[in-house]
Amino acid sequence: MKFIHQVSKGSLYNQIYIPKEAENIFEAGDIVEVKLLKKKSFLYFSKALKNIGEFKEKLVKEIFSFLVKFSEIKQVFTVGSFLTEKVDYNDIDLLIITEKKINGIEEKVYTQLIDKFQLRFHIISFPESSFLNLQNICPLTRSMLYYFVSNKKFEISQETKIDKQHLQFLLMMPEDLLKIKANSRIFYDNIRRLVTLSNFLENKSLNPVEISKKTSVLVGNFLCSQLRNNELINENDIEFLRKIIKKYLNKIRKKL
Amino acid sequence: MNRSKTIHELTNILAIALRHKIGSIVNQNEIYAQKYAKDSEILLKQAEKIVCSKNWNSQDKEMIKEELKKKLSIELEKKPFLDIKKFDVMENEISNALKMLNLN
Repeated sequence: MKFIHQVSKGSLYNQIYIPKEAENIFEAGDIVEVKLLKKKSFLYFSKALKNIGEFKEKLVKEIFSFLVKFSEIKQVFTVGSFLTEKVDYNDIDLLIITEKKINGIEEKVYTQLIDKFQLRFHIISFPESSFLNLQNICPLTRSMLYYFVSNKKFEISQETKIDKQHLQFLLMMPEDLLKIKANSRIFYDNIRRLVTLSNFLENKSLNPVEISKKTSVLVGNFLCSQLRNNELINENDIEFLRKIIKKYLNKIRKKL
Repeated sequence: MNRSKTIHELTNILAIALRHKIGSIVNQNEIYAQKYAKDSEILLKQAEKIVCSKNWNSQDKEMIKEELKKKLSIELEKKPFLDIKKFDVMENEISNALKMLNLN
């Protein structure tokens, strides 16, 4: 005979009760095997995120529950537009924290998630030590973690640090856009990046929704929509965008 | 656009793309490298479009390789915050990129 029960909390140990109708089969002293069938999953939301709707919540729970089998994963976050946009999201961004650096973990998790859920995922992984440091020095990571759902409690560190090298690395792409041609969406992403960097240096909000609004005000609603949809734009628009980039680069460089 | 102008444009974008790629390789222990390595992918896609716009003979390919070497070296020199190992991986990354673009 077998039965399925929930583990309950005892005063000393967690316990499983034998159902009344099976008490004569499972007697004290008998030897049994206990196997984990489904991990209980709690969701922890960032302060700024109120709810994500029933369907998304159920899906995130299922994803987290599925990821339990990867013992190397210490914590998982869902971040990005999947949480902030009602329907207008491209993929489900997952941030995976591991105890140490594991080569190939992203591909391994990605392949299995695709097989199981048949949805589009984007996976980033960090070893725990790096992740802790990244929280302090990276404006883009801090902005990304403004809205999250995680399988464990998490609060972003209030301590920030200016890492000049890191910021210079992040500035490379916007600087390059002053001299190279690129798809219009790249311009949008990099102007957003500059707004985020600038806000970080000025201790302003890194709320990605507000940053998107600010970007939209900067470039204008119509052009902004063209950029977001990666539509073809004319030379005048490119020059206009380069002026914005230049302005922000100067502003940021002065603070570094 | 004439051939040599196209080669200049292609090598400009390739040099920048490889600078990003090399940056993410040499800063591998740095936390941000993996997340931002995709900047290089975006630029390589742009380069691919230029490559597809013309047929290249062996002379063109040799010219692209030489011009790219010079430009990439300058690009890397200009970014002191990228680890000094950047010059060690340069040749290999040029070969990989040219192979990927069928320009080897």
